Amino acid sequence: MNARTDIDLSTAASTGIGADVERRWQRVAVDPVSLQVIGGALRAIAHEMAEHLFRMAYSSIMRESRDIGAGLLDFHGRQLCESDSTPMHCGSLPAYVRGVDRVHRGRYAEGDVILHNHPYHGASHSPDYGVLVPIFHGGEHVGFAGCTGHMVDIGAANPGFSVDVPDYYAEGQLIDAIKIYQDGHRQDAVWSLIMTNVRTPEANAGDLEAMIACCRLGARRLGELFDRYGIDTVMSAAEEWMDYAERVLRARIEELPDGVYEAPEGWLEDDGKNFGQPLRIATRVVVQGSDVYVDLTGSNDEVETGFNCPFEGSVLPTANFAVRSLLLDEAGAGRDVPQNDGVFRPVHVIAPPGSLFNPRPPRGCEARFTQINRIPDQVMQALAGALPREVTAGCSANVSCFAYSGQGGQGSDEYWVNIEVNEGSYGGRHGRDGLDAIDTLMANTRNNPIEEMELNAPLVCERYELRDEPPAPGQWRGGLGAVRRWRFLRDTGASSTGDNRSIDPPRGLFGGHDGRAGAVIVNPGTGEAQELPAKISNHRFRAGDRLEVRLVSGAGYGDPFRRDPRAVLNDVLDGLLSAADAERDYGVVLSADGRQVDPAATERARASR
Amino acid sequence: MKRIGVDIGGTFTDLVYRDDEAGVRLLHKLPSTPRDPAQAGLEGALALCEQAGVRLADIDLFVHGTTVATNILLEHDGAVVGLITTRGFRDLLHIGRKHRPLNFSHAQDVPRQSAPLAARRHRHTVRERILAPDGRVETELNEADVRAAVQALRDSGEVEAVAVCCLFSFLNPAHEQRIGEIVAEEWPQAFLSLSHRVVPLYREYERFSTTALNAYVGPRTARYIERFAARLAEAGLEADLGMMTSAGGIISAAEARERPVSLLLSGPVGALVAGIEAGRLTGFENVITLDVGGTSADIGVAPAGQMRMKHLLDTRIAGYDAMVPMADIGTIGAGGGSIARVDAGGMFQVGPESAGADPGPACYGQGGAAATVTDAMVALGWYRPRALRASGLDIDRAQAVAAIERNVAGPLGLPLPEAAAGIYRIAVNNMVEAIRVNSVARGLDPRDFALVAYGGAGAAFAAAVARELSIATVIVPPAAGVGAASGLLTSDMAYHRQATLWQHLEGADDERTTAVLESLGEAVAACLKRDGFGAEDASVRYSADCRYRGQGYELRVPLPELPAGPAWRAEVAERFHQAHERAYQRRFEDRPVMIVNVNATGLGHVPPLQHEPLPAGAGDAPVEREPACFPAEGGTREFEVAFLQRIDLGAGSRVTGPAVIEQPDTTTVLPPGTQARVHEFGHLIITACEDSEHERAH
Repeated sequence: MNARTDIDLSTAASTGIGADVERRWQRVAVDPVSLQVIGGALRAIAHEMAEHLFRMAYSSIMRESRDIGAGLLDFHGRQLCESDSTPMHCGSLPAYVRGVDRVHRGRYAEGDVILHNHPYHGASHSPDYGVLVPIFHGGEHVGFAGCTGHMVDIGAANPGFSVDVPDYYAEGQLIDAIKIYQDGHRQDAVWSLIMTNVRTPEANAGDLEAMIACCRLGARRLGELFDRYGIDTVMSAAEEWMDYAERVLRARIEELPDGVYEAPEGWLEDDGKNFGQPLRIATRVVVQGSDVYVDLTGSNDEVETGFNCPFEGSVLPTANFAVRSLLLDEAGAGRDVPQNDGVFRPVHVIAPPGSLFNPRPPRGCEARFTQINRIPDQVMQALAGALPREVTAGCSANVSCFAYSGQGGQGSDEYWVNIEVNEGSYGGRHGRDGLDAIDTLMANTRNNPIEEMELNAPLVCERYELRDEPPAPGQWRGGLGAVRRWRFLRDTGASSTGDNRSIDPPRGLFGGHDGRAGAVIVNPGTGEAQELPAKISNHRFRAGDRLEVRLVSGAGYGDPFRRDPRAVLNDVLDGLLSAADAERDYGVVLSADGRQVDPAATERARASR
Repeated sequence: MKRIGVDIGGTFTDLVYRDDEAGVRLLHKLPSTPRDPAQAGLEGALALCEQAGVRLADIDLFVHGTTVATNILLEHDGAVVGLITTRGFRDLLHIGRKHRPLNFSHAQDVPRQSAPLAARRHRHTVRERILAPDGRVETELNEADVRAAVQALRDSGEVEAVAVCCLFSFLNPAHEQRIGEIVAEEWPQAFLSLSHRVVPLYREYERFSTTALNAYVGPRTARYIERFAARLAEAGLEADLGMMTSAGGIISAAEARERPVSLLLSGPVGALVAGIEAGRLTGFENVITLDVGGTSADIGVAPAGQMRMKHLLDTRIAGYDAMVPMADIGTIGAGGGSIARVDAGGMFQVGPESAGADPGPACYGQGGAAATVTDAMVALGWYRPRALRASGLDIDRAQAVAAIERNVAGPLGLPLPEAAAGIYRIAVNNMVEAIRVNSVARGLDPRDFALVAYGGAGAAFAAAVARELSIATVIVPPAAGVGAASGLLTSDMAYHRQATLWQHLEGADDERTTAVLESLGEAVAACLKRDGFGAEDASVRYSADCRYRGQGYELRVPLPELPAGPAWRAEVAERFHQAHERAYQRRFEDRPVMIVNVNATGLGHVPPLQHEPLPAGAGDAPVEREPACFPAEGGTREFEVAFLQRIDLGAGSRVTGPAVIEQPDTTTVLPPGTQARVHEFGHLIITACEDSEHERAH
């Protein structure tokens, strides 16, 4: 922490809307019991919306990976409640409302369904379609039911997505707050236009139907709640829950000393085109009273590929996630705190226009997750000294995402496109090892079953395991990444985004070692093995080729020489470490048969370091 | 027919005895003996026989519900499991679906990694590979790899059970079968679970996890069942021991020993089975059961008297995935012991933490300082000092009041009755939300259902819950407090077999479909035959899990009569469209439908219980009146409340709320505006609201 105060906080954008707004209901006092009752009902609605969506959805990215979000918002876009699906999706809903509202404010009608994906007007990125259904009460527009979901293909230059594109027009069809239902009637011409311009119309149409059904359900349920308790009570209770969440988060922020907390500079490998030219991430966290500012000033300028981050739909929710997860951890202090506008209010972001985290149109910005996911990791690095028990050591903090595609995969000339979001791993934590092979931070999707992938696409999985290389040493060791190898049965195209962390691996904390970089390798173990960058754009594979993706392993936390020798032994027995690793990295000496710790030798080894 | 049902829970062992011909029905309750659960079971059975004046050898049907398998998992003290799997896939159990349970948490624990079902050191891979879609072998099984793996597991000296999980074994089980043979050869003592036998369905992680769970709980559960059966046999029992499954049916002890994973969630099922029977007896086809104990409430929904099964991706226990047929029962942390508090942000919360049995609610006087839902009901005056005497407890009202003052009323600045009523209303609301999730969210309208109360506390909540949901009728069966045990005696034998078919209905291979279904049908029929069921009392039902091509969540539809053919397929498609419309309000007739899984259920029909009418009430039942408070508009209102004894009520008796009906195993609370009458078979039928448009009471 230092005392620099040259940061102009007035340029910060808040991630929340606040309590001081125009209302279309009376703010009334709600008794504590009704508060609890209505709060429970709102959470149940959001949950039901998400269940409805992924059960009815078509594409595996929505139904198996559950790369979706759903919730209810008031007419300002203040979130009342959200489904606990992926943090990125849920957090971006308010920004979608802002984008839609700038077009339709004052012109919503019952029976409207609005579709939106414009990344410069609130969308998280263009493949994340947002559907909003305006909610009316007594003829007045009072809110929205909304959901977002990742479309498997939106007609971009390459199937699925790709990084190396000149601008956002090449990233797929843009839909800027289009009413696909007007007054209850589907706009068939619009529908047809959308579906004609994508490679996977059947999946997209099914997914879109599911999203519409999800929002209509949410709107109906909120209406039922209004009928039951009256709109004044329901909305006042919702506002009370926002104020509650804000109050609890502010109290936690106030426990931190005011000041500027700076993370070490972070680096990304490249922009997906100009290989060898790393991109800088600068992160400062300013704590002032009960407010937190995440300042990304000094980060790289915007880049010429699609490797920029939409500010409103992606950067803002991520900064909020970073602060909320640290201070209101759901496994502890934050268990009862719902995710609504209240938790957004104390968090602000500074990212100068024209930078990687606040690009200007027409810059492409589809492939944003890897950079985004570094923000919470950087925030933890900045606050590690202040919150040593809450942070983790460096996480993989990227997202390795591949789109595989080809034609005729299902015995027809249709395209098949399969998007695979690969896992990462966490850094070690106070009292616990880092989580292995798991989605990190803003990502929380599910993998596709191998048996489903192979039934649907000409792919064979040859390996899906923890990586062979040992985890990053620490008193609590880093999590291990996974390794996945596909064999292509037919000629296949693939695009990817990600960052192998090769020039800036996950950072160890308090004496823990750094994590391990990932790699993307074609035909490993053969004479023609070839390493590819983390970002490939419509790379062509021949039938019989193999692609191995090694995912990043997280960093260690604390001095490995203080790790419980039994935990070291267990890692040896589990084949994660060799006896030599144990001795070198942890000062733990095993018995001759390798099945026990030699306490005396261990004590000597640890003392003589 | 003489029958005994034994339900062994963590705290109490409940038994029921029925002899319809002799008109004898008996209940028995005794403390469980957790170190050796069979002991209480045997003692209880012998005590019942003595009461009935029969020998154990006279018993025709002996059915057992147990939480043994569940507790092994919850306490994580199962077998050390070894895994043999396809080379390249050693860590599927560790990676799972790579999803973390909580979004906003760095500190969270992920049980599949921190407490793996099979430790990595015991996970071995062998060279073999089977390919989709036809199950052809790409890489032959390397038997040397298998033998080396088995030897390593055996020589480890700690592994006791072996799970064998190969990719695509649901398409072609040959490699798993051969590995199983080698294990049996090299190490016949090992407890063996083959994934295609435990759950031959696609989705490798869930199948592997289920198989590993089977191995994990297997040896101890199997030993327990064997020991219990042996001791019963020693004591003279000649009938086979039947075991209640998570799917709400009975299986033989032999089947249970091979598939102990099917017992994992059998605990809450008994009340649902019993509730369906109670509804049938009293003329209500659609029932929702509300089974409330000290720490949790279980909610079961049975439209048209049929139990529904959970989707196989929703069947999870203690953080582990178990893809086995389970009745669709929702469980929430809301019970008598749920703790009320005001959190740091000033919000009034109830549960999910529970004071449990020890120290329990403050009113138990065992040192509990927290204010619980039970304390609230004591403070309101509904539970009198002697209400829990049957459990050996005297209620200390002063302690209850003090705890509520300290933890809730004081911090919120509420008068005591309002604070107590608030605790109760929040608990009621938690149950209401859980019922909505299990009904409304599945396209069912709770107003079409009757609510059946079970458990020690269900009858204290049911009327209030029903009013919130505009449910007209509440049923409180005669021995509602021990309902689960009576469910054991009304269940049929039920064997389930499944297979992944993976066929598009259009152009499906009818011969294959028919053959697969018939082989499943033969398998369940063989189980029933082994149990002594003949054609007249056995039946087989077929169903399919279907979806539109591209979707991932299947909906289950009953299948028309075999063989499959074009008309058969058209009928299946239509049934699926209807199911989809019910669930999601949409049908897409132009979209191709596929059958993902097919299921056969073999039912062995157990003769229904005969019910003898309760004698009519002779005159007015004795009434004591005491002041008690109920929630009312703007707070609470005090009434002179009638307290009656259930045993004093005959058929046709009527009680008007506000009233409290006491019995040793439970307490029924009738809020103002409700009425109860006693049904001819002894059930209390409560009219909770006059009509379905009824407005909430406050």
